[in-house]
Amino acid sequence: MMTGVSFLSGAGQAAMAMLVTGMAMLLFRLAKGPTAVDRVIALDLLSVLVVAFLVVFSLHARNTTYLDVAIAYACIAFLGTIALVRFIHRTSLRKSSRPGSPEPEPPKGEPHD
Amino acid sequence: MIEYVTGLLILAGSFFCLVAALGVIRLPDPLIRMHAATKAGSLGAGLLTLAHALFYQEMGNSLRAVTLILLLLLTAPVAAHLIGRVAYRSGEPLSERTWIDELKKKTNLPP
Amino acid sequence: MSLLILNIVFAAVFTLLWDSGNIILFLSGFALGYMILWVTSPLYQDTGYFKKLPKTLNLTVYFLKELVISNLRVLWDVITPRHISRPGIIGIPLEARTDLEIFMVANLISLTPGTLSLDLSEDRKTLFVHVMFLENVEKTRADIKNGLEKRVLEVMRS
Repeated sequence: MMTGVSFLSGAGQAAMAMLVTGMAMLLFRLAKGPTAVDRVIALDLLSVLVVAFLVVFSLHARNTTYLDVAIAYACIAFLGTIALVRFIHRTSLRKSSRPGSPEPEPPKGEPHD
Repeated sequence: MIEYVTGLLILAGSFFCLVAALGVIRLPDPLIRMHAATKAGSLGAGLLTLAHALFYQEMGNSLRAVTLILLLLLTAPVAAHLIGRVAYRSGEPLSERTWIDELKKKTNLPP
Repeated sequence: MSLLILNIVFAAVFTLLWDSGNIILFLSGFALGYMILWVTSPLYQDTGYFKKLPKTLNLTVYFLKELVISNLRVLWDVITPRHISRPGIIGIPLEARTDLEIFMVANLISLTPGTLSLDLSEDRKTLFVHVMFLENVEKTRADIKNGLEKRVLEVMRS
């Protein structure tokens, strides 16, 4: 018969194993991803998984300080994703404009940029 | 008792996170991958945070957990919207299963 | 709006009066404060608050239900070997006008059943949505309009 504490500890270990497996799969997509957008998706989900891992580890180690780390990491990861997306947006616009022109015109008809 | 509920929530949440990662590996095009990443990822992390809040019930911890859940639920769709827009505009072909695209023919929409 | 702040302050004071607070105590303090404000509601002028809170709860429950259902469908498509998705992009005519309304509708669409908001048309009247399991265009469009958008607008405009 399992006690509650040992069940929680086992569940925490299984959860951490699952999360690490997920992160490994995301690294695969990050390395392979055919387009830059795929890589950004993988990075975005990777940061969510890191937040999840921090929460589980905080439960497993009985130390609530890791929750603060998770909050700060979630904020910073969101900003990083936004910055990467803006960067890709700009480079894809530059690529799609005429080759040879050093300074591409700002695109017309972009509703909100 | 509370340990069992917390353990089950942890298992469910990390399973959803694993499914999100698996979806990013397996699904055919970037827009569909966004579906798996946004929804399953935020639900999984939300369940884990809920488990944390259930286990440590004092006020400061609950408030931090609520903050984290709100942060995840607010930032995930915004990031998904930006990534989806860039994925569409970068002109990569969508998967061949996509059978209707009203954004391409922006006119003749119903009122 | 001021009633909401008053209610939150009441709940906070109620929580601080106990030795050790937790979130359940805070929520019961909120409920108690709501009841007290409701009993004394003839004293205040803006009574929209008492209509708004049940609608917010309704929206929250609907949203959580849809979140779980959508996740189960996505999960099924991911873990089964054959892909059952039929993706498509459809435009949804919006009734939401202000920035906050459009933000709420687009965010909640991104988090519910197999839909992801992609782009907003230039006249801010159509939201383009990527749907993962698109069987019937008109039905999906009506579902989103009558299910999610109607509830959001009920909360925002009452």
